[in-house]
Amino acid sequence: MPILSKHLIRDENLIRNENLVIEGVDVSGDWSTFIKTRVVQDYNDSLQEDIAALPGGENIHRCWQCGSCTNTCTINALNPDFNPRYWIYLIRIGMEEELIRDKEIIWQCVSCNKCTSVCPRDVMPEGVMRATAHWLELKGYTPESPATIFDKVFSSQVFAKGKIEEGRLMMRFFKKTGQKLTQDWLVGLIRGLVLRLPIGLLTRMGLSALIHPRTRDWSNHRMAIAEYITEQKALHRKALGLPTTEESR
Amino acid sequence: MNTPVLVVGGGPAGLSAAHSLASTGQKVLLVDKADRLGGAPILSGYAKLVPSGEWAKDAIGGMVQRIESNPLVEIQTRTTITEFSGAPGAFKYMLAGEEQTREAGATILCTGFSHFDPVNKPELGFGIFPDVVTTTQVEQMLSSGKGVKCLSDGRVPERVAILLCVGSRDRQIGREWCSKICCTVSANLAMEIREALPQCSVYIYYMDIRTFGLYEDAYYWESQEKYRVKYIKSRIAEVTSDGKRLIVKGEDTLVKRPITIPFDLVVQAIGMDPNVDNARIASIFGVELERHGFLQRGATYRAMGSTTRPGLLVAGAASGPETIDDSIAQGQAAAMAALTSLKAPATEAA
Ligand SMILES: Cc1cc2nc3c(=O)[nH]c(=O)nc-3n(C[C@H](O)[C@H](O)[C@H](O)COP(=O)(O)OP(=O)(O)OC[C@H]3O[C@@H](n4cnc5c(N)ncnc54)[C@H](O)[C@@H]3O)c2cc1C
Ligand code: SF4
Ligand code: SF4
Ligand code: SF4
Repeated sequence: MPILSKHLIRDENLIRNENLVIEGVDVSGDWSTFIKTRVVQDYNDSLQEDIAALPGGENIHRCWQCGSCTNTCTINALNPDFNPRYWIYLIRIGMEEELIRDKEIIWQCVSCNKCTSVCPRDVMPEGVMRATAHWLELKGYTPESPATIFDKVFSSQVFAKGKIEEGRLMMRFFKKTGQKLTQDWLVGLIRGLVLRLPIGLLTRMGLSALIHPRTRDWSNHRMAIAEYITEQKALHRKALGLPTTEESR
Repeated sequence: MNTPVLVVGGGPAGLSAAHSLASTGQKVLLVDKADRLGGAPILSGYAKLVPSGEWAKDAIGGMVQRIESNPLVEIQTRTTITEFSGAPGAFKYMLAGEEQTREAGATILCTGFSHFDPVNKPELGFGIFPDVVTTTQVEQMLSSGKGVKCLSDGRVPERVAILLCVGSRDRQIGREWCSKICCTVSANLAMEIREALPQCSVYIYYMDIRTFGLYEDAYYWESQEKYRVKYIKSRIAEVTSDGKRLIVKGEDTLVKRPITIPFDLVVQAIGMDPNVDNARIASIFGVELERHGFLQRGATYRAMGSTTRPGLLVAGAASGPETIDDSIAQGQAAAMAALTSLKAPATEAA
């Protein structure tokens, strides 16, 4: 039978054979359309273990599905499909396919931590969201989100120099995310600064943008941090059963 | 003080009532239809009790020994009461197999509950599949030291489902009450299973979790946080088998999807029914039953332990699902009421 209200069913849940002959009867095309079963046929404990192994996800097993996090969530107010409570459940019972379906919205968490401050069981849903976005990246389901790229640019500068220099930070971030350097808001901001700030301060800012001063005796710290980061990265990849020598992106 | 107080039923409530009475010098006759004292925790071989964590055979067994060694308490096991009459302060009764009438100043009914018989929910597979068992059976597996195993072939289960509210909260089988303790008992058993078999996953299927009062974090949270027991919101509708493993069917209400999940062992958290003897008890003792079939309490606040018949008292799970510690407290309260009625029978008409 052709299925009449096909629009109600997600494409990936429809199975259709273009060429199918059963016992001499041609049932190609619409005649062989099936709806995939929606029945949950098994649980997969390892998904929760994956998320719990990543920073932020440690408390996921505590969740009792009260929905307080979703109710308070900044992003949920804008997009009802953004539902931390639901994703936590999918992870807990191992519905990986369902989770991946929402990969384009999961990373939109703005880390406002409203959910974490309201959660009665200290699940730290913000951390779970972070771990989940991280997991999606590590598993290759999503490219790095702008937020992750910003974090990386920011921290790599701190690790290298021991301090942060905003001009370079923004330039690198724009470059990595393919955005133009002359963002209107940025130009406006700089113009405002030039008009309002005292000359002495402006000179100092200008100089440091050119000279890139370092923090004294930083190299020991840098090495220690680099070592720690490599170690942590390897740990996270190992926890997910991925090869631990990731070529730096 | 010379006429013994009659205590019917030697479970936690009856043991507590008898001990309290004897502690004041009051003589007691303790009657139980079973072949030994101790009530459900002993007769059904419970393992570690909620909330003390003590083994039932030590904790309740200790109460039994205390009573058995008390010279003021006469014990009659394998015995029931066949006739009961008289007024407060001067009851008359007869024991099964005796010809002579006995007398009691006061009487306390501590006749307890019956376990729900899960053959009354055939769709849940008990009696059809050997690996569908009850919480009582798991208690016995643990208390006997034999360990949690599948009864079909003795294998150690890798995945266990505990189904809550079997025989409770179900109009289809005329049981509209909550059995009160089975959520906590199930969380406790889940933790014991996880402790004994760390490789085994345990899932609890629930409609509500009623780990009331201080049991909330000690059992519900602890089972989730320390023992990684998973709770799935669903009332299981059917248990079948694919020939190898059991298949649990229901709806996962949080994702709005039907589930058919394979399990090695399915444990039914059976409820507390009214004692199967209650109709007979009601007619022999002349007391009323409340609408579910438990003994009707006479007053809620003014007179602890009263029934609908003046001077006849009740304690424990006889009047509704009850925990052991509350049954013990009620046993002691009923003992106090009995002593009061013996001292001042006239004021005890409430
Ligand atoms: C699986 C399971 C596990 C549980 N675990 C716990 C736990 O860990 N902690 C907890 O607090 N509670 C637990 N409970 C509840 C506990 O069993 C009851 O609270 C307790 O047994 C009530 O004590 P009772 O003395 O009122 O009744 P019972 O224990 O039922 O004792 C009644 C006694 O009366 C006798 N009797 C019955 N009818 C007659 C009659 N007509 N004539 C003479 N004698 C009679 C019986 O033989 C029995 O000895 C559990 C219940 C279940 C079902
Ligand atoms: S608030 Fe906490 S416990 Fe409630 S659903 Fe969200 S994460 Fe789970
Ligand atoms: S931290 Fe993320 S998930 Fe939590 S409330 Fe904010 S946006 Fe929502
Ligand atoms: S205590 Fe829990 S399992 Fe038992 S009847 Fe009540 S809700 Fe159901």
